[in-house]
Amino acid sequence: MSDPVRTLIDELIESQRRLDTPVARFAAAHAAENNASAGSGARAGLGAQLIPLSAPGPGEQYAFQVDLDSCTGCKACVSGCHSLNGLDDEETWRDVGLVYAGDSIATLARNAAPQNAELQLGSAACAAPFAQTVTTACHHCEDPACLNGCPVVAYEKDPITGIVVHLDDQCIGCSYCVLKCPYDVPKYNERLGIVRKCDMCHGRLAAGEAPACAQACPTQAISIVTVPVTTSQISNLKSQSAHPATAPSSGVDARSQISDFKSQIAANSPTSSAATALAALSGTDSAYTRPTTRYVSKNPLPASLFAADAHTLRPQHPHYALVILLVLTQIGLGLLLSSQFLAPRSQLPALSSQLLALFGLGLYATGLVASIAHLGQPLRAWRIFLGLRTSWLSREALLLGAAFPLLSAILLRSDLAQSLLAKFASPLPSLLQQALQLAPLAGLLLASLGVFCSAMIYTDTRRQFWRLPQTLGRMGGTVAIAALIPLSAPLAAVSLVAKLALELNTLRGGSPSARLQRSLLSPLVAARLVIASLILPTLFVAPAGVTVVLFALGELLERTLFFRAVDSPKMPGQPTR
Amino acid sequence: MPTLANLRSSFDPALLQLRARSGPMTSELVRHPADHGLGLAQTPARLAPASTTQSVCGYCSTGCSLTVHRDASGQAINLSPDPSYPVNLGMACPKGWEALTPLAAPDRLKTPLLRNKVTGQLEPVSWEIALAAFVQNFKAVQAAHGQHSLSFLSTGQIVMEEMALLGALAKFGMGMLHIDSNTRQCMATSHVAYKQSFGFDAPPFTYADFEESDALIFIGANPCIAHPIMWQRVMMNKNAPEIVVVDPRRTETAIAATLHVPLFPKSDLTLLYGLAHLLIERGAVKRDYIDAHTRNYAEFATFVAAFTAERVAAATWLPIATLHRVAEIIATKKRVSFWWTMGVNQGHESTRTAQAIINLALMTGNIGRPGTGANSITGQCNAMGSRLFGNASSLLGGYDFASADHRAHVAGILGLDPAVIPSDKSWAYDQIIDGIDAGTIKGLWVIATNTAHSWINQKRFPELRAKLDFLVVQDMYATTETAQMADLVLPAAGWGEKDGVFINSERRLGVARKVSRAPGLALSDFSIFKLVAEAWGCGELFRRWESPEAAFRLLRELTRGQPCEFTGIEGYDHLQSAGGIQWPFPEARNGELRAKSLELGASIDEPREANTQLTAQLKAPSSQLPAPSSQRRLFSDGKFYTADQRAIFHFDEPRPMPEQTDAAFPFLLNTGRGSSAQWHTGSRTNKSDVLRKLAPISLYVEINPADAARLGITANAAVSVSSRRGIASAFAVVTATVQPGQVFMPMHFEAVNCLTFPAFDPHSRQPSYKACAVQIALAKSGNEESA
Repeated sequence: MSDPVRTLIDELIESQRRLDTPVARFAAAHAAENNASAGSGARAGLGAQLIPLSAPGPGEQYAFQVDLDSCTGCKACVSGCHSLNGLDDEETWRDVGLVYAGDSIATLARNAAPQNAELQLGSAACAAPFAQTVTTACHHCEDPACLNGCPVVAYEKDPITGIVVHLDDQCIGCSYCVLKCPYDVPKYNERLGIVRKCDMCHGRLAAGEAPACAQACPTQAISIVTVPVTTSQISNLKSQSAHPATAPSSGVDARSQISDFKSQIAANSPTSSAATALAALSGTDSAYTRPTTRYVSKNPLPASLFAADAHTLRPQHPHYALVILLVLTQIGLGLLLSSQFLAPRSQLPALSSQLLALFGLGLYATGLVASIAHLGQPLRAWRIFLGLRTSWLSREALLLGAAFPLLSAILLRSDLAQSLLAKFASPLPSLLQQALQLAPLAGLLLASLGVFCSAMIYTDTRRQFWRLPQTLGRMGGTVAIAALIPLSAPLAAVSLVAKLALELNTLRGGSPSARLQRSLLSPLVAARLVIASLILPTLFVAPAGVTVVLFALGELLERTLFFRAVDSPKMPGQPTR
Repeated sequence: MPTLANLRSSFDPALLQLRARSGPMTSELVRHPADHGLGLAQTPARLAPASTTQSVCGYCSTGCSLTVHRDASGQAINLSPDPSYPVNLGMACPKGWEALTPLAAPDRLKTPLLRNKVTGQLEPVSWEIALAAFVQNFKAVQAAHGQHSLSFLSTGQIVMEEMALLGALAKFGMGMLHIDSNTRQCMATSHVAYKQSFGFDAPPFTYADFEESDALIFIGANPCIAHPIMWQRVMMNKNAPEIVVVDPRRTETAIAATLHVPLFPKSDLTLLYGLAHLLIERGAVKRDYIDAHTRNYAEFATFVAAFTAERVAAATWLPIATLHRVAEIIATKKRVSFWWTMGVNQGHESTRTAQAIINLALMTGNIGRPGTGANSITGQCNAMGSRLFGNASSLLGGYDFASADHRAHVAGILGLDPAVIPSDKSWAYDQIIDGIDAGTIKGLWVIATNTAHSWINQKRFPELRAKLDFLVVQDMYATTETAQMADLVLPAAGWGEKDGVFINSERRLGVARKVSRAPGLALSDFSIFKLVAEAWGCGELFRRWESPEAAFRLLRELTRGQPCEFTGIEGYDHLQSAGGIQWPFPEARNGELRAKSLELGASIDEPREANTQLTAQLKAPSSQLPAPSSQRRLFSDGKFYTADQRAIFHFDEPRPMPEQTDAAFPFLLNTGRGSSAQWHTGSRTNKSDVLRKLAPISLYVEINPADAARLGITANAAVSVSSRRGIASAFAVVTATVQPGQVFMPMHFEAVNCLTFPAFDPHSRQPSYKACAVQIALAKSGNEESA
């Protein structure tokens, strides 16, 4: 290799590394010139024409409006939001999905003679194959499920604009809002250990600039509008939904108002039709949050819309810390119940009863510790009481937490504690003694209420798989069986079989949870059944301790399934395997 | 050990507030107005730009300008679309928004890699060793098999200065003859069609035509997905235009159209001849225009007489009423524009199909006026640059290799001995591939393309690779399918890491700027070509190509007197301040600019007021340099670039598609762009988390519900799609947007081109990616319940 080449290599590498640090002069002049014309230019001026001129009045709020006729699926809104808001690499606050309609054969069949085909072209009634892209972000609901569920009140609904804002420094990273939102809007951020979501770019709005997504849309399909906030909106939705596809025009811009569209497609079921949309509305559908986004179109949407990802099975996050929390607090409570109420009446020796209590308390405490591990920002968890008014999570945390010191008083009743007390403490005042006697009872009561709250946390998400009979049956069942194992093998066996029946019932039918458990999650189901079938003989032959451990293992599997197999409503996505 | 002071400083007071409405996490996202008058949207403080630079996007041929936000060190940190550019008016598609992300991908190639003969692995080496290996091996190939046994396959993705230097280096310095680029896969047809019909490869339109038409006829084009920023202009059309989409699939664009014409695949040539026939029947042809400005019309009219509505309906499976409706639209609307893309260009008779579109525009006088034209929407960001300066089928600047005068002229400008310029024709891409198979091509240099993924019927590529003595790949990543097979991989800087010019669909030259540092030892393609020249021993020939901008001046000189002349462009800054400049833009001599432009066929028209007022406004001239009107189209005077200045009617009898369906392979497979977030083989777009979220991450096949039901295929079922050449696994998307008997697969997955049938247009040698026979069946674990 000749020297000139070597020199050239060094030279070129050196120059490749050099970046001119430009004076902003040129670009600035350029942009200023552009800004001057921005007022009259339809495109420039950061989309000021896409937002209302004045703040919402009383009984109104801001809302996204999406013109479906203009949205053709370029997805620039997602990128624009991502870049202008400085989101993390994989973080997106907007999504663009696809809905299809027309499963009838409307295109020209291969063997259709041209003269027959004429029929199809001429008749508009014949459902043409239909696809529509749908851009979605936070719906800034009138009654936000995220806000209501948050245990630390990390959500605020702005009293003037109605924008649902998430307070990032308030959030403890419990992800409950992720489960609560029927639109899959809040997203957990691993790096920060908190949830983040769309805030309608309220800072831009305040400065007369359009939200990033609206600015970024080449066809101006996204705008901000002022909408009335009415409590009657929900009943409107219900009456319209009987004929969702042919909802009559309400006269606004001569466009058919199809706000029910979102609830229909959010139902996200494989056979989503007008009928199921209605069913969705009366059941676990999402309209109860009163989403404000308006989807408008000049054309009525076809019936039987379904999301392109309606058939996609998505196993959900297992939330292992929550699995441990739930199972251990519940088994712990069961064992404590067993030791306190049932043990004295049984033939169990006193020492066993005390060991049982200690074991139960240990499990309960481990469960509580695990719950801390679930949080992305545990240091902020002291605020957990703030959400008591609306959040079952606040209630659960307070009850389960408060129960623990009271339950610990059980230890004072043990022989060892009694002898220590006798040796080192002068006789306690009788009031205190009475309190110590009552404390375990109060603790058991609070913890039982806590378990009820645990069940309500999930039921309150309105997911089908987590309806009350399932959640309460499973969680109450765990407590009851744990309590029965040390006492009565036959009763425990019967309860276990009953609980298994409850669980297996969810494998039937065409729901996402059933299909998930029959397919992707079938190994987990099998493991759960194997363990359960081992417990039944063990109950009768092995020491209670062994059975409890085996039972705990089975319950951990059951609870993992409980999280993984849950149906997860969301706005339509793109085709996904 | 954390000191107390440390703890105190890291302690977050927000922790103790009952309601922490502010704090470090909140402020991460708080947006601040740009306070430096840059006219930018608010951004978080972390991304506050110290300065900005405009740069034309490096993905597609729309040619959007992006405002790159840079920190104090000049490094790009973010971008937003440029509101002042007449092309994109402040908009970008997701690929543009994410243009910086692939530069920071963890698998960026940082050093040259040479395959170790012992271990068989690609191992990092210095540039000295890499260049020595390059020269040694390629010279050995030439010594053993002759000068022409060395070939390159390049790209429409690099700047034109690099394309030209590569073409010059290979042909004038290294003695290669057979060179081609991936523009063969997308734009060769338009190139040949225009050249034959107009006398020069000259797309006549400007984007304002989208806004000014009364009727837009899209043929084999899906701009909603493929060119969303062009579609923006359609949506800005205030004339309530008829939008006709001719496409077998009910695409996003077809749904947005006023009339979808779902013809049978590859029956477009028959359809277009049929429309010509119906227009003649209706008396809707412009005789005076035809007589004054065209040649060969009488023969064409006689020829299409055989294309009766009945015959066309039978061939296209369209109702006769549809044919009449389309003819009526063309006949009655004042400003009709025709637009085509890959559905036309990728066909077995694509050149004649493109020319059938041109014929419709010519015979109805829909050319040279605002809102009209036979307009080819280009694919890659610099396919147009490649067509002028690739030095493959035509000599640099649109000259003819066969002409001694042209060779001497070009050699004079470049300061070369005319003898180094070959007079023979280069092989096309498919012929080079066949040459490898036949053993005549033994050394191959692949630059910024991914042949092993994208070439039609690429399943044979591994076995072809084995027949090569030496394969060099020059790319940003060593992870592409082709790079993985190479003997030597050279690390290239990408878009954003170098300067140069792209030419977009509407002939607009725009500058891409260096705003980011390339990783490790990666070098711009321009630098690599200079190094190769030096190491090869022909560096002397290219002394004038000192820098990209020096090369630009050479190329500018080459265009003097050519239809594509742009001698009026001073340099990069001029291009930038003018918002890009469309060719022709000849040097202004004594105020001759206008006359000279007109002579070259450009109209410097004053477009219809309302719609283009905006773009005119945006483009108020800000410099002392000559500033052209921002929207210019060709042929307003009806003078074409042929010898007699007449456009020519070309036509041929339609031929059946080469691979028909039969009982064993009963479905027709169509392939194409899957989403706006994916670019070709995904070597760049797959690097962005956001873009990966915007498209399915695994291969799917769209199938009509009737077919799916018959085959027991349910939505999301795992299926295998096979042709006579290969097999691909996919999941089923059951949708009526594809017709029964047809299936669609996105081209962004490698397996798709294992299926495609290698048929080529005889004139452009462009492959026909959009029609081959396949069968589809439920995979063994097909239904989801057992997945």
